[in-house]
Amino acid sequence: MKPVAFDYIRPSSIAETIKILGENPDAKIIAGGQTLGPMLNLRLAQPTILVDITRIPDLVRVDDSDDALTLGACITHAAIEDGRVPDAGDNVLARVARGIAYRAVRSRGTIGGSLAHADPAADWLSLLTALRASVLLHGRGGERTVPLAAFVSGPMMTNLAADELVVGIRIPKLGRNGRVGYSKICRKVGDFAEAIGVAVYDPERKGLRLVAGAAGGAPILIDDLAAPPSGQSGARSAWFDDLRSRLQSTSLGTDVYELNTHTATLRRALDEVIPA
Amino acid sequence: MNIEDRPRNAGIGASVLRKEDDRYLRGQGQFVGDIRLPRMHDVAFLRSPVAHGTIERIRIPEDIRPFVFIAEDLTGVAAIRADTTLSGFKSSVQPILATGKVRYVGEPVVMCIAPTRAEAEDVAQRIVLEIDELPAIHDMLEGRAAGSPLVHDHWGDNLFLTTDVDANFITLTAGATHKVTREFRTARQVMSPLEGRGVVAQWDSRAGQLVVHSSTQQPHIVRTGLAECLGLDEGQVRVIAPDVGGGFGYKGVLLTEEVALGWATRKLGIPLRWLEDRRENLTAGADCREHHYVVTAYATQGGQLLALDCEATVDSGAYSAYPFSACLEAGQIGSLLPGLYDFQHYRCKTYSVATNKPPILPYRGVARTGVCFALEVTLDALARELGIEPAALRANSLVRPEQMPFDNIAKRHFDSGDYPEALRRAVTMIGLDDVRLRQRKGETDGRRIGVGLAMYSEQAGHGTSVYASWGIPFVPGHEQCMARFTPDGALELRIGAHSHGQGLETTLSQVAHSILGVPHDRIKLVHGDTALTPYSTGTWGSRCMIMSGGAVAAACDELAIRLKHVGAKLLQTAVTDVHLKDGAVIGPRGRIGVAEIARTWYRRPQDLPVDADSGGLEVTAGYKAKRDTGTFSYAAHAVVVAVAPDTGEVEILDYVVVEDGGVLVNPMIVDGQIIGGVAQGIGTALYEEMAYDTRGQPLGSTFADYLLPGPTEMPAVRIDHMETPSPYTRFGQKGLGEGGAIAPPAAITNAINDALKDLGVELSVSPITPRRIVDAVQEAKSRRVAPRAAV
Amino acid sequence: MTAITLTVNGRALSADTTPRTHMADFLRESQGLTGTHIGCEHGVCGACTIEINGEISRACITYAVACEGTEIRTIEAFDDDALMIRLRAAFTAEHALQCGYCTPGMLIAARDLIRRRGTLTVPEIRTEMSGNLCRCTGYAGIIRAISRVMVEVADETSSPIRGNGWLGPAPGPTSRAAIPPAHRQDADRKRMPAASSAASHTLLPSREIKVLTGPIRIDGATTKVTQSFVVEQPIARVWLLLTNLEAVVPCMPGAVLDGGPGADGTFSAHLALRLGPIRTTFAGDGKFTRDDAARSCRIEGRGRDRSGPSSVIGDVTYRAIELSETSTRVEADIGYSLSGPLAQFGRPGLVHGLVTHVGETFARNLDAAAAGRAPTSSKDNELGAVSLLWSLLTGWFHRLTTRT
Repeated sequence: MKPVAFDYIRPSSIAETIKILGENPDAKIIAGGQTLGPMLNLRLAQPTILVDITRIPDLVRVDDSDDALTLGACITHAAIEDGRVPDAGDNVLARVARGIAYRAVRSRGTIGGSLAHADPAADWLSLLTALRASVLLHGRGGERTVPLAAFVSGPMMTNLAADELVVGIRIPKLGRNGRVGYSKICRKVGDFAEAIGVAVYDPERKGLRLVAGAAGGAPILIDDLAAPPSGQSGARSAWFDDLRSRLQSTSLGTDVYELNTHTATLRRALDEVIPA
Repeated sequence: MNIEDRPRNAGIGASVLRKEDDRYLRGQGQFVGDIRLPRMHDVAFLRSPVAHGTIERIRIPEDIRPFVFIAEDLTGVAAIRADTTLSGFKSSVQPILATGKVRYVGEPVVMCIAPTRAEAEDVAQRIVLEIDELPAIHDMLEGRAAGSPLVHDHWGDNLFLTTDVDANFITLTAGATHKVTREFRTARQVMSPLEGRGVVAQWDSRAGQLVVHSSTQQPHIVRTGLAECLGLDEGQVRVIAPDVGGGFGYKGVLLTEEVALGWATRKLGIPLRWLEDRRENLTAGADCREHHYVVTAYATQGGQLLALDCEATVDSGAYSAYPFSACLEAGQIGSLLPGLYDFQHYRCKTYSVATNKPPILPYRGVARTGVCFALEVTLDALARELGIEPAALRANSLVRPEQMPFDNIAKRHFDSGDYPEALRRAVTMIGLDDVRLRQRKGETDGRRIGVGLAMYSEQAGHGTSVYASWGIPFVPGHEQCMARFTPDGALELRIGAHSHGQGLETTLSQVAHSILGVPHDRIKLVHGDTALTPYSTGTWGSRCMIMSGGAVAAACDELAIRLKHVGAKLLQTAVTDVHLKDGAVIGPRGRIGVAEIARTWYRRPQDLPVDADSGGLEVTAGYKAKRDTGTFSYAAHAVVVAVAPDTGEVEILDYVVVEDGGVLVNPMIVDGQIIGGVAQGIGTALYEEMAYDTRGQPLGSTFADYLLPGPTEMPAVRIDHMETPSPYTRFGQKGLGEGGAIAPPAAITNAINDALKDLGVELSVSPITPRRIVDAVQEAKSRRVAPRAAV
Repeated sequence: MTAITLTVNGRALSADTTPRTHMADFLRESQGLTGTHIGCEHGVCGACTIEINGEISRACITYAVACEGTEIRTIEAFDDDALMIRLRAAFTAEHALQCGYCTPGMLIAARDLIRRRGTLTVPEIRTEMSGNLCRCTGYAGIIRAISRVMVEVADETSSPIRGNGWLGPAPGPTSRAAIPPAHRQDADRKRMPAASSAASHTLLPSREIKVLTGPIRIDGATTKVTQSFVVEQPIARVWLLLTNLEAVVPCMPGAVLDGGPGADGTFSAHLALRLGPIRTTFAGDGKFTRDDAARSCRIEGRGRDRSGPSSVIGDVTYRAIELSETSTRVEADIGYSLSGPLAQFGRPGLVHGLVTHVGETFARNLDAAAAGRAPTSSKDNELGAVSLLWSLLTGWFHRLTTRT
């Protein structure tokens, strides 16, 4: 399990990186390498050149404004876990970061790398879709900002152009009373998620947004539901039955296990923000 | 020595802290991958990507041909045969590199050599294997059926061996008022020690010896196997097992890789290294635990087990591994299935089926984990059928202490113990009544609580008479220890078995300390090198504390006699007037320490009388148990689980083990073995599975595919010990290294089935994954709905 | 060879390495630091855990070249560390190791946890230590040892050292001055591109095609799925297209016809597949047959991976069904089977999404071709070239669905 031979280059700026990408169609960006490394070692990925973007100051920028937080792509999960960057509200970034894989992975794995990889089972993809985040892309054609929902086109597939780089992620802030519930089911701690449920309840802004993640492809967004009734009433359980039926018409299809686990994670996430 | 005399502080019975820890804690252990020799090259094996096929052509670019070896290059190398003389056994011939046919995914086909592993993999990547794929024998039941494609064309079928046991089954009569039949399947697993296999081979031209460092549990067996395959005298082969990062049975076998490197290092004149990587381990090394059972159990109206009838099939893989593996599991099922129970009628038929998978190897618990699963889950089903507590059915049916020693229906000879007491303790510890109360109340979170029990015994240290009847290449005889004092009065113990986590460097020191009183820091265990240690069949079958422990005691007993002889002379008294205590020979008028005796014997012989024993302070002594049918440690495991029927999540709320391992040498280490075993058993029960498709492709190659239990998957295990001495061993000890891994799949499955019984769910497969639970719940639901719909 | 300079266990050194050499191999093979063990080489087991600039990291998936300028600390360099001394004693006292192979990584992770998080509950310790596998002990002694040391040093735990404030993977730019501080300054927002509508950059096709993907079925070693979609064209036109292999093959993302089809329908082709970092090319041959009466075609093929020992066998049977004069439904029954490493790697849950995506791309291309438009951009084709992963992932899917 050793990688094929490849070249290695470490640009010091975004512009230089984009130039390299333009000139080397087989180049592969590496940041923390926590996803790419295993694929290289298994020779599933056999690039001719690795472009290491971890030394570019502009990729760890943090912009904290009243309405949004913008994080550079190379910020590690650990930095977010530790609260070394501001949060987007309800401490949700730090909470979710802490549940990503293991600390020794979080110390090098980056938020931008995770999004560029677009693994459906990844935490950031589901959470940030629910938070209406956008990715910031730089390429030879210039800069653009794309909502995550449009950026991800399928499982591990994005609309990133070959010469483009994810440089950051813009996360709208939660309102003052905004709350985020997050729940996932994994076969074991640190393993890939089998189901992810995110519930964003932000009464001042957009109401309720639910995301069912680890659902095979892009996260499933449901944002047209009224909040479930509180109390252990039949009404609440009926509300979740409706949600389950709703999920049935998504890519989850009729698989009972998928439906049950996704309904369960959504219920647990909702219980956190709108207690029964 | 009587047990009563044992020095509790440092000898047998004391939780002495491990002597071996220090080097590991500082990263100073020396594993095979840590060895670097000058000019050493790395080896990568190109392995078969298909399960079954005919090798049409191997295309090797000319420029790399000198660094590449295929089967026809290996002149003078014999294939591996691992046979038994049992009647009807069919012999497999395992080539060192595949020739003619490939028979499993991962079978080595080409050996590629380069300065580094990465470059060796580059070489392998440039070689094209043209293999004409044949239908794969991917499932043991299909492989058993008439008309199946054949793994070994000349056999005529795929059966290594079938066995039959029938004890009064024909006389089963109307007494059997209740019966249940259940079918079980257990997944193929990968033992996955954290360190893979590994080999460093070099030819020592001065010694005229092939020196092979290998991560093995049994260096002496590997030595014999290498000599046989390479056509060398055993004196020309030295095998060194350095620190070994876990074995569990995975490293109790002669490797084709060992043979290939042994041949090539001599051919090329450079040291060679092959380190198994995790992909190789998980694909080519998926080699244990795959069983299928159909069990029928009969009970009396009074709730007592009356009879068992079983047909068992084991997926033995493509070859019998050396020294012997193909029928080791199936061949034992017949005598293991009766468990701890006393009943009247029994029948069992077993099949060892060749398939296109890696050769099956005996994993911790060897057949017992599957057998315990099949038996104990059936018993719970029988108890439900009878409408009684599963514990009651067991209590009614266990062999009773007053029957000991007991020859069971399958002719196993149980040495000692109180099985009902272990059950009683487990039921009490787990709080069975409280669980039942809680079940009646129900859970507020929608989960369901269940409690499960399982019992087993673990035969260990069985020897010549047992294995001679198997007719296999290696029959264990006397286990030997060479014990000697060095001139400075320190004690060396040399054994042929190997310690790789079991703590023998400490526990055997405790045995010696109990007899000779030498302090631990002056006792050194030498093991793992055929040049330095007496012959042994190695570390397997939970035998070391019985056999090596017995051998150490025998050698130390002899040393004690000699110390007393020399000491008495030096004390100028009769040997009958002295005794050895606390590391000194004590006479009526004085004492002399063993270190002083050693110094005198070696360095001041002039102080010795002329008639001093010429044998000196260096002894090799052998040991066999008084009766070599083995010790039977046993245990009752009990577990409480919470199951979420909608998501299939299982949480282990409590886990208790009541274990009787005879006299415990080091209770701390015993607990470590039990809990470590339970972790592996939980892996079997809930997580570990290497699935295959119908072309025989293993469907996983990483620890993201093959899940090992981590710290969050392990409960806090509570242990209670009974200590019934074995009447047959040196100080009453019993082997117990494997037991922890035997009962968890049965106990956990019983608990899950108990939790879900009201839903009509009963699972009989391992591992029980969340998806399997959800599917079973769903299926039960549709079963309940369907009849109504039909009305 | 690439020259790197870094500090290992307090010693500055320069060494030659290759870009593909991971840190564990670098330490073990060229520095003789064999206490860093290799257990999986894919980042799961934790045996290779080391410190890079004070942060615990996986040495097996961190390449040595990326560690230029870092400070590395391995198990061999903790003999003077007070916390490690306590941990080692506790590991022995609690019997936290058996074979000792996981132990160095376990200790480094445990020490980091205590320093970083202070005193934790047992469940928290279990969760935080889940990145380190032990196959021998069942973790009981490990958890007790960590717990014990946490209590012992509860009053001593100082806040963890946080490097130089760099927020990315260590070490960041070697020049400290280049590190921008985290700041809050709305004026700076102009440096980040303003949010723009996705529409202007959308890669979605001009006409949405609804592709229905049926449940995925496992039949022996073959993964099967049925997809259907509607093309707003008369059946004659669609059938003409479907029976023209030269036209159909380019609609399949990444596929190129290399030869044929001959009179007997045989052809050769290759399929360049790309998914994220995984790229591969299956080259092989196949056979095309048509049944005009049933308006059904069948393509069978087999190919070998050009960069490894994997191979694939697959077939597609598709039918054209007239819905109206201007509307035709295409149904495709797809089956494939992989062998070799690509069959042995995968993940569950992705299959359905992948198949849907592949089907959509194919349908979109076919729709465009039927309408006489050019196929969508090559970018889309590349993106859609996911059959590899689709196939790849069947391993997992199989695992979950082939149950007894």
